[in-house]
Amino acid sequence: MTSWKLSIAAAAAVALAASAASAETIKIGFNTPQTGFAAADGKSVLTGAQIAIDTVNAAGGVNGKKLELIVYDDQAKPKFAVPIATKLIQQDKVAMGISGSYSAPTRASAGVYQNAKVPYISAYAVHPDITRAGNYVFRTGILGSVLGKAAAKLVGDKLGKKRVVITIMKNDYGKALAAGFKSVMANYGIQVVNEYQYSLRDRQFGPIVSSIKGDNPDAIFDTGYWFVAAPFVSQLRAGGVKAVVVAQEGYDGVKFIEIAKKAAEGVIIVTALDRDSKDPAVVKFMTEFKKRTGYGADMVGASGHAAVMVAAAALKKAGSTDRAAIRDALASIKVDAITGTLSFNKLGEVQKSLKVQEVRGGGWHYHSEITDAKLLTPPDK
Amino acid sequence: MNYSDLLVQGLVEGCIYALIAVGLTLVYGLLRILHIAHAGIFTLGAYVGLLLTNETGSFAAAFVITVVAVGFFGMAFYRLFYEPILDKPPHVALIASIGLFVAMEEIYRIVFGATSISFLAPPLKDTVEVAGVRLEEGRIAVVVLAVVLIGGLAVLAGRTRIGIAWRATVSDAAMAESFGIDLARVRYINFFVASALAAAAGVMVALLLNQVIPTMGGVPAYKALAIIVLGGLGNVKGTLIAALALGVIESFGTIYLDRVLDRDAIAFAFLIAVLMIRPQGLFARR
Amino acid sequence: MYEISLLTVMSFSVIFALSLNLITGFCGQISLGHAAFYGIGAYSAALFTTDGGSFWLALPLAMAVAGFFGFIVGFASLRVRHDFLAITTMGVGFLFTGFVRQQDFLGGEEGIAGIPDPGIGQIPYMLLCAALATAVIAFSLYLKRSWMGHAFDAIATDEDTARTLGIDVARYKLTAFVFGTALAGLAGALFAHYVKFVEVESFDFIESISVLAMVIVGGIGSVWGVVVAAAFLSVLPLLLQVFADFKLLIYGVLLFTVMYFAPGGIDSLMRMLWRRISGRRTAG
Repeated sequence: MTSWKLSIAAAAAVALAASAASAETIKIGFNTPQTGFAAADGKSVLTGAQIAIDTVNAAGGVNGKKLELIVYDDQAKPKFAVPIATKLIQQDKVAMGISGSYSAPTRASAGVYQNAKVPYISAYAVHPDITRAGNYVFRTGILGSVLGKAAAKLVGDKLGKKRVVITIMKNDYGKALAAGFKSVMANYGIQVVNEYQYSLRDRQFGPIVSSIKGDNPDAIFDTGYWFVAAPFVSQLRAGGVKAVVVAQEGYDGVKFIEIAKKAAEGVIIVTALDRDSKDPAVVKFMTEFKKRTGYGADMVGASGHAAVMVAAAALKKAGSTDRAAIRDALASIKVDAITGTLSFNKLGEVQKSLKVQEVRGGGWHYHSEITDAKLLTPPDK
Repeated sequence: MNYSDLLVQGLVEGCIYALIAVGLTLVYGLLRILHIAHAGIFTLGAYVGLLLTNETGSFAAAFVITVVAVGFFGMAFYRLFYEPILDKPPHVALIASIGLFVAMEEIYRIVFGATSISFLAPPLKDTVEVAGVRLEEGRIAVVVLAVVLIGGLAVLAGRTRIGIAWRATVSDAAMAESFGIDLARVRYINFFVASALAAAAGVMVALLLNQVIPTMGGVPAYKALAIIVLGGLGNVKGTLIAALALGVIESFGTIYLDRVLDRDAIAFAFLIAVLMIRPQGLFARR
Repeated sequence: MYEISLLTVMSFSVIFALSLNLITGFCGQISLGHAAFYGIGAYSAALFTTDGGSFWLALPLAMAVAGFFGFIVGFASLRVRHDFLAITTMGVGFLFTGFVRQQDFLGGEEGIAGIPDPGIGQIPYMLLCAALATAVIAFSLYLKRSWMGHAFDAIATDEDTARTLGIDVARYKLTAFVFGTALAGLAGALFAHYVKFVEVESFDFIESISVLAMVIVGGIGSVWGVVVAAAFLSVLPLLLQVFADFKLLIYGVLLFTVMYFAPGGIDSLMRMLWRRISGRRTAG
C-alpha cells in the first residue's frame, strides 16, 4: 500500500514542481519507458538522471538557472516516441533532449530532433544508426561493436583464452557485440568453437548448456543482459561447465549477482563503470542510487547520470540555451563523467577507455582497464 | 552432442509447460474461455511463493500456502470477473481476460517494483547426476511435482464423486445439470485446481530462475495457448502430451534450428503444421 | 504540431483497426496475428523507398505484398475454425517476427533505419493519412451494405448455414482476408514513413492484441464504433501521461470494464445513447 501512496505523492510532487518552476529553469526533454516490459530499465535510467540533475542544481545549476527534466513515458515504442519528441520540442520548448529509452524509440525520435535542429543524447541505446540521424545527435553510451572488440582483447590477450564459445542474444545489441568481437578476434588468436543464439525472453538454457559442455571451450563470451544472463550463468555452472564467462555492460548491475549467487563468482566483464573507484562522484552516485531505488546501481542508471552531466557541461559551455550553440559545445566537449572521460567524434559517438570488472566475494571489483585507443575508436560515419 | 541431455532438459521444460497448460485447458474445457489472465495468476504464484519463502525461511511451507491461497484467489477471480460474462460471445471473455492480464502485470509492477526480486537463500540448488545427466534438484522437483499433482488430479477425477461430476459437466453441462450436479460448484473447483497448478508452476519457475519480474507471465501466456490447442482444446491428456512434446522439440530446435527460426517460432511452426493436417489438434476432444 | 502528430497516429491506427474489422468483424474470422500484415506492409514500403523507390508507389506495393500473404494465410481459415483459427493466426504472427529477426535483407534485429521522408511536410502527411482513413471508412460502410457484406455476415453468423444457402464460403473468406490484410499493409506503409524506422518489435503479439482490442472495444463489425475506439485507444497512453505510473493499468482496466459492462463495445453504447436522445425527442 505504501508504494501506491508513494507513487501518488511522487506524481503530485512532479506536477507541482513542473508548475512552480517555469521561466527560471533550463528544460531538458527525457523520454523513457516507465510502464510495460521495459519499465525496470526506465526506472534505473531516470533515477540516475535525477541524481545528476539534483547534483548540478545543488551546486547552483547552470548559467544561474536550475535544470529541469521533462519526463514522458514512451513504453519503449517508436510509435509513441515520435509524438513525444514533437511535444518536447514544440510545446515544452526544451533546450535539448536525452533518450533514456531503447534503440527503436531512440532511433525514431532522433529523426525528429535532427529535423528540428535540437541536440539529442542517447544514454544507453546502442543502435548504430541512431547517431547517423545527423549532426545534432550524440551518444554517451558505448557502441556494441566497440565493446565487442574490447571483449576480444580481454579474452585473447589479457586472459589468454583461445577456444571460445559465443552466445548471442538476439537483438541489435547482442548482434553488434558478436560482430565486433569476431572482427578482431584473429588478432588475438581466438578461435570460435561454436555459437548459439537465444532471445531476450528465454530463461531456460538447458539445451544450450548441454551442447556447450560438448564444445569444451576455454571461455564463453556472452552478449546478454543481466536478467537473461543470471539464469544462463547459473545453469551453466549447474550443468558443470567450468569455462570462464566473459561478458559486457549488460551484466553490470548488482541484480546479476543477487540472482546468480555463487554461480556469478569469476564472471568478468568489459564495462564503463569502476565500482572500486575512489572518485567521489562515483561513490556518491552509488550510495544515492541505492538510497532512492532500494537496489544497487546498474549500468543503465550510470548511463542516465552520465548523459545528464554531459548535457549540463554542454549547456554551461554554450553559455545560453541556443540550440546550435549547445550542439557546437557538445561536439567539442570533454567531460569527466562517472562512466569515464567522454568526448565525441564527428559522428557523435563517444570515445572513452573501458574498465574490466570481475565478480569476487559477491560483488563487482576492479580487474584491469582497456585503454587501447585504436581498438576503442568508434566508427565516424 | 549428448542427446539424452537434450531429451531430459526438454522433458523438464515440458513439465513446467504442463503445469501451466493443464489449468488453462481445464478452464477452456468447462467454460470455453481462452483464459489469458491465467499467466497473471502464474506470476502471482511466483511473487507470493518467493516473498513467503523469504519471510518464513521455509520453502516447503511457502509452497503449500501459496498453492492453496492462489487456488482460492482463482475461485474469487472467476466469481468476480468471469461468471457475470459467461453468457456473452467468446471474444468478450477473451478481451476481458487480456485486459485483466495487462492490469495484473501493472499492479505487480506498482506494488512489487519493476526490477526483479530473488530468493535470499534459494533452496534445491545442488546438482545431482541422474542416468549420466547432471540436473539441479529444483528441476527434479519440477518433474516430481508435475507427476504427483497431475497424476493425483487424474485419480481424483476418476474415483471421487466430485471428480465424476466434473467430468460429466465437461462433457455435457446441460445433461450434468439435469442429473442434479451443481454447476457453480464444479466451476469453482475447476478454477481452484487450475489456479493452484499455475501457482505451483510459478513458484517452481521463480526458484529455477531465482528471479521474479512483473512480466514473467508473458511467454507462458501465449505458449500455453499453443499447447492447449495442439492438445485439442479441453483435452487434458492431449495437453500433457503436447506440453512434453513441445518441451522436447524446443530443446532440440534450440540447438539445431536456431539459425532459421527462434524458439517461439519453432513452437508455432510445429503448431501450424499440425493444425493444417489435423484441424482439431493432435487429439480431438473425446 | 504535437496535435498533428497525434492525428497522424490516429489516422493510420483507424485504417489498421478497420482492416482487421473486415476480417474479424464482417466475416467472423478471428485473428490474433494481424500485426504481421501491418509489418509486411511496413517492411515492403520501407525496403522500396530506402532503395530509392517513390513513396506513392510504395503504398500500393505494400498493399499488394500484404494482400498476397493474406491470401495464403486465408487458406488456413478454410482449414481451421474459431479458437483454432485464433491460435493459428497467432502462430503466423510469431512466424513473421521469428523469420524477420533472422533475415539480413530485412535488417534482422536492427530493423531498417533511414526511411526517407515522403517530402510533403508534416501537415500534408497527416492530411494524406486522414484522407486515406476516410476512404477506408467509406469503403467499409459501402462493403457492409453490399451483397458481399451480407455474404460475409452470413458466414460470420453461421458458416454451415451460409454454405447450405449456396454462398461460396471459401471464396468470400479469402476475399475478406485479402482486403483486410492489404489494408493492414497500407496502414503499415504509412506507419513506416511516419516513424521512419521499422524493427520487428513494432509488429509483435502485443500489437496484434492491441488492434484486436480496438475492434472489439469498438463493437465487432461496427464501422463507426471501431473508428472511435481506434482513434481513442491508439493515443490513450499519450493522453494519459499525467497518470504516469498508472497508464497501462488504466488501459487494462478499461478493456475489462468495457467488456464487462458493454460487451457490444462503443457501438452498443452509442446506440443506447442514440435511443435515449431520440426517445426523449419523441416523448417531448
